[in-house]
Amino acid sequence: MLEIWAAYIFPLLILAVAFFSGNMIASRHEKSLSARQLILAHIRTTDLNRFFEPDHRIQAQLFTAEITLGIDHFRGFLGSLKNIFGGQIRSYQKTLDRARREALMQVIEQSHSAGYNAVANLRLEFVDISGKANMAKRANMVTIIAYGTAYTTHAPLNKETQTAISPLPAAIR
Amino acid sequence: MIVVNTDTLPGYEISHSLGIVQGNVVRAKHVGRDIAASFKNIVGGELKGYTELLTDARRDAMARMLAQATELGADAVINVRFSTSAITQGAAELYVYGTAVKLSTSTTRAAVEGTPPPISIS
Repeated sequence: MLEIWAAYIFPLLILAVAFFSGNMIASRHEKSLSARQLILAHIRTTDLNRFFEPDHRIQAQLFTAEITLGIDHFRGFLGSLKNIFGGQIRSYQKTLDRARREALMQVIEQSHSAGYNAVANLRLEFVDISGKANMAKRANMVTIIAYGTAYTTHAPLNKETQTAISPLPAAIR
Repeated sequence: MIVVNTDTLPGYEISHSLGIVQGNVVRAKHVGRDIAASFKNIVGGELKGYTELLTDARRDAMARMLAQATELGADAVINVRFSTSAITQGAAELYVYGTAVKLSTSTTRAAVEGTPPPISIS
């Protein structure tokens, strides 16, 4: 009896818990990201290495943000199954997307609270802390560093929506 | 010290380059954090321990880079880049580099736009 528990039921239980809580955490995070993105939609962002109509009296400044997101056991399990047959691994894609958006948002939020209204030369960098990502093992977390230079711009906003002309990318469907 | 990751700076002109400055840190996670993270990892979500680890690493690497720049008497570090490498499982290297430069206030721009803030080394 105990062997059956240990061998089948317990791992299944963990997978079930991971599935539900993982889904909940992910959807809550996505909602909060969309809300925060809307609030700061007037911040002009670009990954170009140039300033658009900058205010020369205000000193530009570098901002960085880091985020580590775990990939829950259920998604990790799905991912390793998918790995056998190949193809798109949606669950990993979504986690990476959330991590990138979160890191970008944090850079934008820091810039905003320091009084800037634009960020130039945004860069995203993947960090492999677990050391598993390129060893054909199951990477169980993703870490992203985002950085960019905040400055103050005189560039106009979109007249109708009052948002930046280049808004942030929305979530992957 | 002004730190940016762009080639240029609003309000200033780059008078000359002092060369590349850099800083690196190799950080490992400690076992306690590792275990805590592995539990959190069952359900997913942010792993705060690792985020902090990286924040600390970034701060240290930046401090080393800025110390080099200060030694050279730079006004700013421009075109800053972060780079990482996974040396072994469980340790990550964070490497930050940029170009230390001397600045001068741009006279033409100042006439049109107003005076930029003074160059100060802090």
